Amino acid sequence: MLIVFGSQKSYAQSTEKNTIRLKADYFKIMNGDVYFDIKASSKIDKETVDVPNIEIFISNEIEDEEIDLGTITTNMKGECRFTLKNLNLIKQDSTNTYNINFTFKGNSNFKKASKSVSFKDAIIIADLIKKDSLNFIKATLIDVSTNTPLSDRLLNVQVQRLFRPLRIGPEFNTTDENGTIIVSIIDEIPGVNGILTFEVVLKDSDDYGTVKSMVKAPIGIPIVDESTFDKRTMWSPRNKTPYLLLIFPNLLILTLWGLIIYLIINLYKISKSKFKNHENN
Amino acid sequence: MEVSQKLIDDLAPKKFGRKGVIWTISLIIISIAGIIAYIDQVIKGQVVTNMNDYALWGIYISNFVFFVATSFVGAVTVAVLRLTNNSWRTPVVRIAEIISLASIIMAGLTIMIDMGRPDRLLYLFIHGRMQSPIIWDVIIIPTYIVICFLLLYFPLLPDLAILKNHFSKTNPKLSKWYGKLSLNWTGSEQQKKIQIKSIHIIAILIIPAGFILQTVDAWLFSTLFRVGWDSTNLGAYFISGASVAGVGALVTVVYVIRRTNKLEEYITDYHFDKLGKFLVLTCLIYLYFNINEYVIPEFTSKKEEISHLNHLYSGQYAPLFWFVIIGGLIIPVIVLLFKKGRKPLPMFYVGLLVVIGSWWKRFLIVTPTLLQPFLPIQGVPESWHHYFPSFHEWIITFATLAMALLIITFLVRYLPVIPIQRTADEQEETEISKSKISKTVKP
Repeated sequence: MLIVFGSQKSYAQSTEKNTIRLKADYFKIMNGDVYFDIKASSKIDKETVDVPNIEIFISNEIEDEEIDLGTITTNMKGECRFTLKNLNLIKQDSTNTYNINFTFKGNSNFKKASKSVSFKDAIIIADLIKKDSLNFIKATLIDVSTNTPLSDRLLNVQVQRLFRPLRIGPEFNTTDENGTIIVSIIDEIPGVNGILTFEVVLKDSDDYGTVKSMVKAPIGIPIVDESTFDKRTMWSPRNKTPYLLLIFPNLLILTLWGLIIYLIINLYKISKSKFKNHENN
Repeated sequence: MEVSQKLIDDLAPKKFGRKGVIWTISLIIISIAGIIAYIDQVIKGQVVTNMNDYALWGIYISNFVFFVATSFVGAVTVAVLRLTNNSWRTPVVRIAEIISLASIIMAGLTIMIDMGRPDRLLYLFIHGRMQSPIIWDVIIIPTYIVICFLLLYFPLLPDLAILKNHFSKTNPKLSKWYGKLSLNWTGSEQQKKIQIKSIHIIAILIIPAGFILQTVDAWLFSTLFRVGWDSTNLGAYFISGASVAGVGALVTVVYVIRRTNKLEEYITDYHFDKLGKFLVLTCLIYLYFNINEYVIPEFTSKKEEISHLNHLYSGQYAPLFWFVIIGGLIIPVIVLLFKKGRKPLPMFYVGLLVVIGSWWKRFLIVTPTLLQPFLPIQGVPESWHHYFPSFHEWIITFATLAMALLIITFLVRYLPVIPIQRTADEQEETEISKSKISKTVKP
């Protein structure tokens, strides 16, 4: 009896499910993708851990209706990205708000969990302008549903870099009544072939999520790209072996093994030549 | 020509005596102990070794380099002496060929022992990059094994046919094997022509192959930009060092075989004298390269290189370094410069000293450099600054050495260590030239 109760108790302990916390952020890249970055974590033994390999259902909620958009599975870091080609694929409610639900239905280890993200559509129109031989980035933030400019919003202006962007202009760029900011560009920013990619970003807005617009401009100081990426070097992958290292060693191998095969044939000839002698005799 | 019965009786392989049996059993026991230790290493992982984040190559790689170096003896003695028509080579070439084959086989096995995941060996062939010196090694070692085998096998054919007849009554089973291996050798003109041509090709082939092998081995190190290895000299340095290790091993093995097989009549003081001079030459060349590697950089190198050199001159590896230089090179040169030093017994001791020096030399090439990290890390454990092989590493290394000796022992047991047919041919040539001389003197 004790064994039976004991084992049931331990089973009950082992089947106690943990709670999952879902985090979802909305991103819109102008003239690009619209996507949601989702992260699943759980507090296990007072420690927050990433939850990999769980399936998350994504749906678009419109009033009482819920339209399935698809499912996605978290990676080893508990992260996943759900991408929409454009916002026309989902519908707004009567307040012009998009409501997206992220649902985890639960499994043997974790309880079910869900997260909702609501946002309105906004666009950033960014341009490079020149005044008195000085360059400026001009950007206007507009609410799409009402087609009105959005004032008093913080926009970041930055130059794309390999690891993290280089911020330019004042620390806080607040849009005016026309929803516009103008930021002067400092000279002498180096870029590959002189091309700079400027980003104007509305970051983590409660109403509009993150919206990013990019402007490419050939106004940087050209730098020579000394990267050997995709070139035939000693440190490149095997399909990019330098020609010398392909030709010379392979020629050597062919010569050495050609002679070895010739010598092995000679062994065969020796073993057969005895009979020839006998035939001649 | 007809081979005299005495010659066959003298040179045909014989059963081991009591000492030979004890020797063979001892080697088998050490080999088995090594195999057990290796299985344990595979099961537990390389945690059983004393290798660490700094000394990521250890005794296995030094041992591998030693085997590769020793295998060069085939190219040095057989090919070079053959191509330069040095007739004194005859009684020692087969022993050199046997040492070469045994060493290169064990080099191939030793490098696998160093692999943390030997089950992924095939990946080297499937995913290997031609830019990597490791792949060059993977290509050249099997090639050299085949060449060494052919170098041993072609000249053996007439002798195997002789042994087939010799053992036909006393040991028919063995005779049958010799018959199969002799490839129906009858000594016909056609067979001789093909054989001589083939031997000539191998003698030429093994020289570039040997040079490639040693150089690739050197490039494994010199392409890594590490202090002590970053040298354009290293390829030539390795070749000269390999000559020393190879000839040293040859002298030692020749002496032992001469004694155990009672071959004093065939391997005479004259041959030891010649081998001694040959060893002096190789030691002097290697000494010259050592001066290039160790003396000049002391005055011209950057801080890290000088620190590495000082580490060798007066640091923890100084006793070993000076033993290798003085014991492994200078003393042999001094002893061998005297005629008495080139007698068989002193030569044996000198050869042994050279071989031991050569083995530790490889340890000195590998380990002290690794203990000087390319990118120093702060706060590393004190143990990372030192390396001494673990029990597993020693047992496995001794086993590989025992296995090499076992291959040599096995081949010495079943093959004539001195070419019978060639010795008979040379004896006939000597007789003819003697009779010619006496005819010209008489009138």
